[in-house]
Order: sequence, then C-alpha cells, then structure tokens
Amino acid sequence: MSQATESEERLLIEAAQNDPSRFAELYEQNFHRVYAYVARRVHDRAEIQDLTAQVFHQALANLGKFKWRGSPFAAWLYRIAANAIADRAKRKLRESIDQPNPSSESFTATDLEAVERRARLFSAVDKLAEDQRRVIVMRFADEKSIREIAGELGRSEGAVKQLQFRALENLRNRLNEK
Amino acid sequence: MSERSIIDQLDDAVAALAEGRQSDLRNLGSELSALAGVAQDLIGLPRETFKAELQQQLTRSDSMSSSAPQPETNPVRSMSLYICVANASAAIDFYREAFGAKELWRLVEPNGKIGHAEIQIGTTSLMLSDEYPDYGTLSPGTIGGSSVKIHLDVTDVDAFAERAIKAGATLVRPIADQFYGDRSGQLADPFGYTWIVSTHIRDVSVEEMQKELNKWSQEQSAKNSDEAGSIKEPKLRRENRHTVTPYITVHKPAELIDFVTQSFGAIEHFRATGSAGGMHAEVSIGDSIVMIGGAEHIEPKPTAIHLYVPDVDQAYERALKAGAKSLMPVTDQPYGERAGGVEDDHGNRWYIATPFVPLQTIAQDLHTVTVYFHPIGAQRFIDFVTDAFGGKELMRHAEGDMIMHAKVQIGDSVIELGEARYPTQPLPTAIYLYVDDVDNVDAIYEQALKAGGISMLPPTDQAYGDRNAWVKDPFDNVWYVAAPLKGQS
Repeated sequence: MSQATESEERLLIEAAQNDPSRFAELYEQNFHRVYAYVARRVHDRAEIQDLTAQVFHQALANLGKFKWRGSPFAAWLYRIAANAIADRAKRKLRESIDQPNPSSESFTATDLEAVERRARLFSAVDKLAEDQRRVIVMRFADEKSIREIAGELGRSEGAVKQLQFRALENLRNRLNEK
Repeated sequence: MSERSIIDQLDDAVAALAEGRQSDLRNLGSELSALAGVAQDLIGLPRETFKAELQQQLTRSDSMSSSAPQPETNPVRSMSLYICVANASAAIDFYREAFGAKELWRLVEPNGKIGHAEIQIGTTSLMLSDEYPDYGTLSPGTIGGSSVKIHLDVTDVDAFAERAIKAGATLVRPIADQFYGDRSGQLADPFGYTWIVSTHIRDVSVEEMQKELNKWSQEQSAKNSDEAGSIKEPKLRRENRHTVTPYITVHKPAELIDFVTQSFGAIEHFRATGSAGGMHAEVSIGDSIVMIGGAEHIEPKPTAIHLYVPDVDQAYERALKAGAKSLMPVTDQPYGERAGGVEDDHGNRWYIATPFVPLQTIAQDLHTVTVYFHPIGAQRFIDFVTDAFGGKELMRHAEGDMIMHAKVQIGDSVIELGEARYPTQPLPTAIYLYVDDVDNVDAIYEQALKAGGISMLPPTDQAYGDRNAWVKDPFDNVWYVAAPLKGQS
C-alpha cells in the first residue's frame, strides 16, 4: 500500500468530492485497510465482503459530507466500518437498542496496529514476484490446495511449496522493513 | 534439517491454518514460526475478483449519485419469475386490474400471440408469454397445474385482495392473521397461478414459529384420527360413477349418442333395449358418465350440461356441423374460461368450455360433465338439495336477490345452477344420484321427502342389480337415488 502523505490524501479527497470517478484512487489506497478492519471482527468471508462493499458505497455516497479535520481518511472509513459491523451484529441478534451492543467493544490500539499490519501485508502481496504472488493468491484468497495450484500452474507440488515458502519469507522481510 | 523439509513443514502449518486448526507454531523454531505467523495473517486474503468488482461498482456512473446501493458480491444479480399463460394479453389486463401491474413492454407476433412481455408488480418485474408447446412453454391449464406460488408483500392485504377479487381472482384461502406474523391469504388468478398475498403485522422469532407449527401439526393429526373414528353422514359415492350423473331422456337416443360422439368425442360403453321398448345407454365424456335413454313414446327430459372439453372452438364447430344450433359463440369469459353454447336437435343445452386452469383448481370435485339447473326460485332449489342430499354451496354470484350462478357440491360431484331467466327457461331433467352403500338409499329417500320431494318410487331392488328410489323435487327434476345391491357391481 503506497502511503499517501497527508497533503496528497487531502488532494485525493477533494478531487473525488468534485469528481466521483476519482474515488478509485482513494479506494485503492484504503481497500486493504477497510477489509482488514472488518476481518478483525467478522470471520466469514462473504460477510467481510458484504461489509467492505457497504463501507465503500456509504463512503462514496457521503463523501461530500467529509470534512478534513486533520485525522486521516482511513479513520473516517473505520468509523463507517465500525457502525456497519455493529448494525449487522444487532440485526443478527435481533437485539433491541436498549440492550448492550455486542459490537460496541471498540478497537484498542492493539487492534488497530494489527489491522494496519495486516493491511500492509495484503498490499505487500501485490508487490511479490508474479509466480510467488499467484501462489499466495491461490492459496490464501482462493483457498486452493497445493495440489490444485500445482495442477493449474502446471508445476510440481514441490515447486509450488517452494514458491510459497519464498513468498512468505519475502513478505516477512517487507513487513520488518517498516 | 534440510531446506526441503523446512518447506514441507511450513506447508503443513499453512494447511493446518487454512483448515482452521491451530498448529503449535512454537515447536517450529523461530524462523518457521515467524513465517507461519505471516501465513496466519494471510488467511482470509481478499479475493482479487472481489476487489476489482467492487471498484467497478463504485466507479460505475450510476452508483455515484445514489445513496449506498446494496452491495453486489454475488455472481447472480437478481432473480425473476417467467410465467407462461394461456392468453398472455388477457393475463396482462387482469394483472393490471387485480394487482396494479404496469406493462413495461411486449413483443407481439402478427397473429397476436405474445412472444414475450414484461410487467412490473410492485418493485419487481414479471416476465410472461403465451404458450409455445413446440418450445416446451406450457401454461398451467395444459400441464395440469402449477406447483409455483407467487408471494406478494403488500401494504394492506385486505384492500388488496378485495380489489383482486373484484377483478376476477378467486379467494382460495381466506385472509387471516397467521402464526408467523403475517396477515395473509391466497388468491387464484384465472390463468392457473396462485398468489400468496400478505402484510407483515408483527415480528415472530423462528423458534416461536416452529413451536406454533408443531402445535398445528398435532392438532391436524388429532383431527384426522377423529374423522376416521366417526362417520357423520352417509357418503354419497359409487365406484367409477360420480355421485351426480345426468340421465338424458330423448325421443331418439341413438341419434343423440351419434351427436355426442361426433361433437364431444364421447365413448359409448353400453346400449340395451328395455322391456317397454326404451333404450338405455351409457357414454363417457372425459372423466364422466352420461346416461342416455328414451324412445318415441317416452316423454323426453332434455338436460342442460356444462361440459369441459380440451378444445372448445373445435367442439363448438363440430357440434354445429352435427346439426346443433348456436346459443352463444365461443368467447373468452372473464371468469376464467373460453366458452360457447349450443342446443342439439333434442333440446339439450350444452355449455361447452375450455378452462384456463385445471378443473380441480376451480372446485376440487369439478368433473368434465356438470348438470346445470335453471330453476324458478334458485334459493329454494339450493335449500332443497342441501336438505335432501346434504348439498354444500361452494360459491354464488348474485345480482341483488337473483342468483345468477352458483355451485353446490353433492357427494363427489358439483352441480351448477342459475335462476331461470329469459331466454333460459327451466329444463327439468333426470339425475342419477349414486350413494356409497345400499343401506343409505332408504335414508336419503326419506330425507328427500322430508325436504319437500315427492315419491315416484319407494326404495326397490331392481333386476339390474341396483336398489333405487325415485324422488321428484319441487322443480320437477327426478332424482334416481341408487346404489348397487350387495354382491353386485
């Protein structure tokens, strides 16, 4: 994930507020953060996807209302995400408003650190060498077995395992750089 | 430890993580456990297709201005119903009147057939077309029903149903508060589809619904065993015969048999000449038996019959060719059938029709042949068949006090009637009324006399194997109450 500086981000937001098609850049900057944030509380992939989509749709719809107050754009997205997660939990449990909100347990600093770290990791996958990246995506995103990946890539299972090993090494090194 | 085995060990750890097993990473040594930690964070890595599709959604111009559309993460965008109806044009008119549907567009063949049309009901569009048998596109009437029911969530179910019924829908389950928190009922449209209409009135948890369902199931099984334990009224029934079977008496029965064979595809099963020189014959049309008899010296008793045929236009044409005169050309009727009428040379009136729906959806025990009465005093007639034979009124259509059309169930059959009015005058006839047990002939006979019938013949064992009793009702119809004698069939 390319870390935009504060002023770069301000420019991106202003651009998107004037021309919604520019939202793509903000999306690109923040997709992994929002996804990792949601995934910290929700574990079902379909639900993570639903909530992530909801957050970005809401953000886009309300972009005009976003006022720059010095906190990063991601913080605003996290707040939308927190509300979306809480709403979903409430709906799921058919809880009435006066009962304790199961998702009101807010994110601690440790949680946020973990989210940022994971978002960086997700983004780092994109920067791997292509053959390593494909193995990681197939293994972790598409949830395929080594045998399936070997079949699809036309390589031996040993070679795929080796690519996986190298990729994880590279990812660890990248995370440690920061 | 060779690098090869480290690679395998790491993959073991990854496989364990992928399956949600917590492998003990600490036993791996610091190098491997660090890599396994990375792998753990990678579990649930977002899918690239999801990221790309969401971006596409967000940057599509139509999603820019609208407020938070529902996320689309499923490969299926939406689901629509595509129904086939006999006479799509009439169906569109009906759905407009009944449900407030809006026609979006239609594609019409030169012959008027609708190849495809889309209408909008509420927020949902419904696709429909006429029948195309060559392409397997068949309507409920052709297939013999539809197993699909369509659910409409409406704001005011009572008002909605009232409007639909006015437009020609039939209430098949009354509107009532349901245990699952809806107020709902079911409507049958004239084209063979059932619509569940409902308004949500209160939230009910799934657990509570299940509890209510269990209670209902128990009540049902208790009720069924009650019914099995006590037979409250004599069952009117005889094997292979419907309870109500018309007996048409004419001067020239052989000619009438020819007529029904040519016009309606009747099949002759039996023909005999009695000791007095009269003929007795039985033919079947569709699922029903019609008895035909008479002779030159016997007073004729022509009958009016509502006859369902597979192709009313064809039957009407054939009947005219066979010498009948038209009473009414074939047209689509608003009550859900295509119908015409003819009168044969013998004075019988045949109201022939092809329904848009299977007969059983109109009334469960409706058969191909239904006797139609035109009494003077339709209400008194209904009272008589109720008291005499345990008739149950199924429906009526009245204008003021005048009963224009009514259906009454007797045993496993339905009879129809309408107040006699110009040009349709009373046509008193003869009807066989089969009961299930010979012992019930006497009981029904007594009951019919009490209800105002006149005895023509007290219960008598006949040489041809029936015990029967003849009763003339106050409208000059003669009912032959009959059952086979024991040991006969």
